Amino acid sequence: MCRLLLAFTTFFALVMSAAIPARADETVWSGLVIAQNVQQPEPIPVELTRIERPLKELFGYNQFQVIGQSHKTLKTGQEDWLATSKFFGLHVDARGESEAGYILNLKLYKEKELLLETDAKLSKRSPLIIKGPQVGGGQLLLVLIVR
Amino acid sequence: MKTFEEKWTAWLDGQLSGKELAEFEASLPDKAAAEAEKRDVKKLGVLLKRELGAGVLRNEEFFSHQLRERVARESVEPPRKQAAEVSTWWTIRRLFLTGTVSLAFFLVFAVFVMREKNPAEQSQYLTQILNARVDPAISPNATISMFEAKEDRVTVLWTEGLQSLPADYAAK
Repeated sequence: MCRLLLAFTTFFALVMSAAIPARADETVWSGLVIAQNVQQPEPIPVELTRIERPLKELFGYNQFQVIGQSHKTLKTGQEDWLATSKFFGLHVDARGESEAGYILNLKLYKEKELLLETDAKLSKRSPLIIKGPQVGGGQLLLVLIVR
Repeated sequence: MKTFEEKWTAWLDGQLSGKELAEFEASLPDKAAAEAEKRDVKKLGVLLKRELGAGVLRNEEFFSHQLRERVARESVEPPRKQAAEVSTWWTIRRLFLTGTVSLAFFLVFAVFVMREKNPAEQSQYLTQILNARVDPAISPNATISMFEAKEDRVTVLWTEGLQSLPADYAAK
């Protein structure tokens, strides 16, 4: 009877471990991107290849350059981090995790000036693009992607 | 001082003697009828003794018979119980095994169903913008809108009228 109970317990544990997939740590890529139209556009950065089509179709630019970025591995879903360029700073404050994604508070700074603030539920399967201010002939874009 | 009934009972049982017997018999209105009654009572006593004695004897035999049957039944019962256990399919152990196997099947199917269902559910998840605001002092004419490009699973926060900046701000 004890062997039977042991076998049953082992089987139950195996089934449950299969049912609950082990959650690997996920990385959020946050980027400050300058979109421009140029004569000879550079290839799109590898971080943006996944959203190349919507970037070009929605914003109408042919070149996208990353001027600041951050790769943050989330373990608790409560981390915060900063992606910066020379003049801009994107502060991301993760405020929890759900099955659908992460609750984030985003603040775009121009030097020490807060330009834009938003709260978003960032899905693990759905990138977020924020249209920022006009910069010269181009456009500042903020991009967040869960990898 | 004994009552008449006490003396009558004692006389019937032959327990009066001497002066007490003589006085009681003298007090009887019809001694012959009393003697006849005394004889009847004695006959009844004999009859009762005989009958009761026979009854007790029958009960003893009956109980002895009952006991013998019970002893015989109990000595035969264990093998019958064993036979019953062997012949019944739903023993505790088999019930437990059946329950375990059923639960295992349920879990296996549940896992497969859950695994097949999850991707479909998650594919519907898009990033949601909960709220957005700009500093009206810096960008007084700014407007904010949001939309989802569902075919690309992209969510966009679209701002218009933010403060425009010179090209120098595009520096890394």
